[in-house]
Amino acid sequence: MFSRLLIANRGEIALRIIRACKELGIQTVCVFSEEDREQSYLRLADRAICIGSGPATESYLKIDRIIAAAEVANVDAIHPGYGFLAENAQFADACRDSKIEFVGPDAESMRLLGDKIAAKKLAKKAKVATIPWTEGNVEDDESAAKWAAQIGYPVMIKAAAGGGGRGIRMVHNEAALRHSLPAARAEAEAAFKNSALYMEKVIDAARHVEVQILGDRPGNILHFYERDCSLQRRHQKLVEESPSPGINERVREELCKAAVGLARAAKYHSAGTVEFLVDKKGNFYFLEMNTRIQVEHPVTEMITNHDLLQWQIRVAAGETLPMKQRDITRHGVAIECRINAEDPANGFRPCPGKITEFRPPGGFGVRLDTHVHAGMTISPRYDSLIAKLIVHKPTRAEAVACMQRCLDEFLIEPIQTTIPILREIFIHPRFLKGDVDTGFIERTW
Amino acid sequence: MAEHDLGEIKVRQGDTVIALRKARFGEPVVYAAPAAVPAPAPVAAGAAVPPLAEPVKDEGLVAIKSPMVGTVYLSPDPESPPYVNVGREVDPSTPVCVIEAMKVFNEIRSEIAGTVERILVQNEQAVEFGQPLMMVRPRV
Repeated sequence: MFSRLLIANRGEIALRIIRACKELGIQTVCVFSEEDREQSYLRLADRAICIGSGPATESYLKIDRIIAAAEVANVDAIHPGYGFLAENAQFADACRDSKIEFVGPDAESMRLLGDKIAAKKLAKKAKVATIPWTEGNVEDDESAAKWAAQIGYPVMIKAAAGGGGRGIRMVHNEAALRHSLPAARAEAEAAFKNSALYMEKVIDAARHVEVQILGDRPGNILHFYERDCSLQRRHQKLVEESPSPGINERVREELCKAAVGLARAAKYHSAGTVEFLVDKKGNFYFLEMNTRIQVEHPVTEMITNHDLLQWQIRVAAGETLPMKQRDITRHGVAIECRINAEDPANGFRPCPGKITEFRPPGGFGVRLDTHVHAGMTISPRYDSLIAKLIVHKPTRAEAVACMQRCLDEFLIEPIQTTIPILREIFIHPRFLKGDVDTGFIERTW
Repeated sequence: MAEHDLGEIKVRQGDTVIALRKARFGEPVVYAAPAAVPAPAPVAAGAAVPPLAEPVKDEGLVAIKSPMVGTVYLSPDPESPPYVNVGREVDPSTPVCVIEAMKVFNEIRSEIAGTVERILVQNEQAVEFGQPLMMVRPRV
């Protein structure tokens, strides 16, 4: 097991990793930018090292400074969290070249799965269905228009090097397609340094269902069931739950089997998530695989009673998974709400600022993952996630009732947060029935 | 060497060592690790480091702050005397120490003209970004 681990991240996930390490007896070193100097979670780490000024490009994305910090602190491993460098294969290589373990898969798997086109081709090899797509990059506008006319509008334009819901555009006709392609290319070049695009048919009224997988180095890959993340706005998730209320046991089994098959084909180890779209008939299509721990991992932890972060660290340290698939059982229903510092009444514009009151909910079946407390300042510079509020109850109705009361209890002042819209979601009849799809939020609000 | 803007390289293979040093008139020397290091391009002497000096309210002294994370060395090499001592007059381009990260040594310049009044770090100490290294009384 590692003696010392460096956390190359910030905020709630940094705190999550510190907690996991402490319980495993691993010393922690946390990096921070000058803007995060006053963060309370830093005091929970054994050591904290300043790696740059506020902008992420000057700190959390600085590979050389992070490795330098890892070296001066003499750590055995680096955990990249999610976002920032978590899916950066160059970073994974840089760590291992410096004889520091990277808590995540091999750089090769990251590269393969990070290239969305290559990943789809891998899915085909693993006999996992993908959404009807261009089977490669969009060569030029003419062939794009021809393909779209054949497959039928609307279609999605996506960046090959994208991910996390970015670099995606939906177009409803040829004029819109021709108009969007150059812009999409430019956007992809700027955001991902790769202008390659592909297109997919739009699946109507689909649910976004993802499967949590975990693999050890010898090649044992397990799944921890699925999470339904259909409640999204602009491809950013607001609410996640497990089990998915929209699939039956047969679809669940096939989905999880497909996810494991794909991970195996990618020679994957560590924690990862395989994302699918599921249509009303229960047909599922591979979307992409995320080669990192995800924001919503607590949902899975609650229903399976496994600490995914600790397992992720253990397998990185070379441990073999002691359990078999049949040992992973699920109980009850878990739902997570992401609480963001955004104003839903004003286009979800970010609301940074100092928090004067922070009174979180509690009680039986409630988990709160947050680095935030009264007296601290939310910076405009980083993402707006304030807290993850998770409930776990034996039935969905009880979980919903619990979340309703938690959202009523939760007091955060004076900034605006997404709590009001979450309250509205949790009384909406469609949501209460579990009958939503990925377009629900944007259609309704 | 020109490509990576290096002043000096030592390459060791077995018993053979090849040392190359660029003679730059009036410029102090920077040394870097063997070429096998797969690190990002090293910072060389002469590379512009943005000024970090900030006035310290009470004493009128200005801090020289670390622009990087690494291990600080107060002399160019173990056999040489320190770059500066307390009392030494410095110009903006005077090197005051080196900081090593990932086997690359980066020369840190004063960035201010004045006199070194305090040296806040010890030889081989780990330093973080923004850490004050020395205090300088600015020349008026």
